Amino acid sequence: MTPVLELRDLRVTYAGGHEAVRGVDLTLRSGQTLGLAGESGCGKSSLAMSVLRLLPKDATVSGEILLDGADTRTMSWGRLRAVRWASASIVFQGAMHALNPVRRIGQQIAEPILLHATSPPDEVDARVAELLAQVELPPEKAQAYPHELSGGQKQRVMIAMALACRPRLVIADEPTTALDVIVQAQVLRLLTRLVSEHGIGLVMISHDLSVLGSVCERLAVMYEGEIVELGTAPTVVHDPQHAHTQALAAAFPTVGDPASRYAPATTNPAGLPPRVVPEAGEPLLRTESLRVDFRDRGGGWTHAVRDVNLEVGRGEIVALVGQSGSGKTTLARTVLGLQQPTSGQVLFEGRPLPRGGRALRDYRRQAQLVLQDPSSALNPRHSVYEAIAEGLRIHRMPGDERALVAAALEAAELRPAQRFMPVLPHQLSGGQRQRVVIAGALALRPRLLVADEPVASLDASVRGEILALLLRLRAELGLAALVITHDLGLAWNIADRVAVMYRGELVEVGDVEQVLLEPRHEYTRSLLAALPEVAAPA
Amino acid sequence: MTDFLAPVEETIAEAPPPQRGGGAVRYLLTKVGGAIMSVLMVVVLGFFLFRVMPGDPVTIMTRGRPVSGAQLDQLRAEHGFDQPILVQFWNYLVGLLHGDFGNSYAFNAPAGAIIGERLGPTLLLSGTAAVLAAALGLWLGAKTAWYRNGPLDRASTGVALVFWSIPPWWLGVVLLMIAGGVFPTGGMQSPDSPTALVPHALDVAHHMVLPVFTLVLAIYGQYQLVMRASLLEEMNSDYLTTARAKGLRDDMVRRRHALPNALLPTTTLVFLHLGMVVSGAITVEAVYSWPGLGQLTAEALEAKDLPLLQGIFIVLVIAVVIMNLVADVLLRVLDPRVRAS
Repeated sequence: MTPVLELRDLRVTYAGGHEAVRGVDLTLRSGQTLGLAGESGCGKSSLAMSVLRLLPKDATVSGEILLDGADTRTMSWGRLRAVRWASASIVFQGAMHALNPVRRIGQQIAEPILLHATSPPDEVDARVAELLAQVELPPEKAQAYPHELSGGQKQRVMIAMALACRPRLVIADEPTTALDVIVQAQVLRLLTRLVSEHGIGLVMISHDLSVLGSVCERLAVMYEGEIVELGTAPTVVHDPQHAHTQALAAAFPTVGDPASRYAPATTNPAGLPPRVVPEAGEPLLRTESLRVDFRDRGGGWTHAVRDVNLEVGRGEIVALVGQSGSGKTTLARTVLGLQQPTSGQVLFEGRPLPRGGRALRDYRRQAQLVLQDPSSALNPRHSVYEAIAEGLRIHRMPGDERALVAAALEAAELRPAQRFMPVLPHQLSGGQRQRVVIAGALALRPRLLVADEPVASLDASVRGEILALLLRLRAELGLAALVITHDLGLAWNIADRVAVMYRGELVEVGDVEQVLLEPRHEYTRSLLAALPEVAAPA
Repeated sequence: MTDFLAPVEETIAEAPPPQRGGGAVRYLLTKVGGAIMSVLMVVVLGFFLFRVMPGDPVTIMTRGRPVSGAQLDQLRAEHGFDQPILVQFWNYLVGLLHGDFGNSYAFNAPAGAIIGERLGPTLLLSGTAAVLAAALGLWLGAKTAWYRNGPLDRASTGVALVFWSIPPWWLGVVLLMIAGGVFPTGGMQSPDSPTALVPHALDVAHHMVLPVFTLVLAIYGQYQLVMRASLLEEMNSDYLTTARAKGLRDDMVRRRHALPNALLPTTTLVFLHLGMVVSGAITVEAVYSWPGLGQLTAEALEAKDLPLLQGIFIVLVIAVVIMNLVADVLLRVLDPRVRAS
């Protein structure tokens, strides 16, 4: 039988000579699932796009791309358009932008059905409803616009759309990135079920080996445009051979693995600091039955934070874990004095948070924020020096500005500091940008860092480095941190204690080992159950 | 997995659908209220602005005629200029609410009636020009963005920029010199214009050619450049890749997916600008002696005819405010995201 997809010596070169894909051979038979792993820039998305010839015009493709035995590379445009979506469809990365914002969901799902006439025109509405039912969405959602859906729902719509013409191959490009653990688990389960029910071939692309391993039979690891490792999922995940695969596998720790406790994957010569026991005594930060309510558009009240009592000790790293919408970001904003609590209070070193003026400004110097996406957290037109010096000027920090900036860059391990000062953010890599953000915070000599998903937008290999930096800063400067995340692996990597938030309440707070290994609350258990699991090798 | 997984998605599914009807009425009322407030503020501004201009209105009225001091006083009393300024303002406001713009000094007739007479020709001229310019500009803008750096883009984007930067009256004078023999160069109709409807309309259309052409050239460039920019903004959007991957033809991708999104910022701008077209036509009207508001403004300025100028000022502002309102409402119809917020 002809394979659904066969790539022979595929090469993709962009104008300017950058070779994104360098000689890839792959075969996928119908009903098979293949995971394609790698970091950003390894060529995995170029490979996916080349299958339906969706690459930008400046890309040159050579080799053979056989889709059901026919080469899409040399097809006529008319033939290619007939093959697109009908033979192979794509679930795009970030469903946020992959749907047209001004057209209804139903119209968008129906569009390829009408175009390829895979269902009679009078049955299209029924087919749309059937597809929505397959992805467990009510049929009324056909009338909704993309912005009216949650991230997980949009991804379901993308999957429904991909199945619309009953294709033989589905390519899923980072289908669960930007979704939280529980929604990710739902989407993965759905994808696995639909693919096996309909005997569809699946190529799934991700930077997360464990996500791929939980869905796919085989895994291919890409590095600099080549496939460096290919094998069954359990073998690749549990017994990686290539150095790059090993790094990818180590980047996302297994919760409960003692080897990765307080040990994020890092190749930094500074190594990991000795374990620090946080000081006992009066906690640095304490919230007392904190409540934050919002009035929503309907006139009702949303209780974003309900009666939260949370403590962060001096030099302690606390992970605040929960799904999107659980209120963790509101809690962090309130802790930073950016949001007034409805009732209750926040105490810093035993004193209530000042409500304004010089005292609040001084508090904000001591409690610094590190945001999720360093690309948007930095002003693109400010040099690294400006980005860091701005905070110094606002808080009128004593001392030589240039020396302070240099010291902050050194502390964030951007060395030599002089080289980074005149650089603009777009000239830096993602990891370096996040270090600049951290340096900007460190320059003000804070006592507490509040970090909102500090590594979620970074590549796997950088992730461990940033987490190791946080551990070293704690050991060297005694810096406490409240890390907001939906990533339990991160908590296992660096945190002393975990606070689990669910619908505005802290449902479980305790030492990492206790909460993650012997969870008491049912919600914590379901969070842990949602972690993707890869079967042990046979 | 446990039932903790279900609730979050469930609450979203069960949440009441966004209320499209009730919100719309409130939205409209807010916007109309805002528009009325703007007009009121302009009335206030207009009244006091014209009062601080140098020159005594009574002296202007009687310019060129010998009058005694007593006669001047009598005129002042007749027009209420001897009363405190706030009383004058109150009287003016009450008059406005009854549609009374005051009496024109120069024409010695109600300013409202004179403006009403000239409004039609201006709307005809600027409306025709605006529709043609919008059609031309949006079409060119969409084409040039889609085939960026193609021959059409290279040729027309520069040209659009040139026409946009040329002052309309200068363009008018040049066109007048070039095409003066072929098309009528002044007025709205021939002195012996036929009275039957169709021949009369043809005669007016013939007179409209040059002024409309001038205005279109002056304003289409802006529409083209904005449309081009907003389509370019959408060109790299992921949903266009989705549309291509579905197997849509290139022009369908453009028509069905790219254009509806690119039109959102452009529509707002076009309508905002439509209000300005009326005032923009002033210089063009002067060049072609078009019997509209523009020419009237020139005459009123010449005569320092205060009530007339004030009236024109308010009418021009109302045009901008109404178009602004239309733009807001239209954007809400076109963009579902605005409806939600």
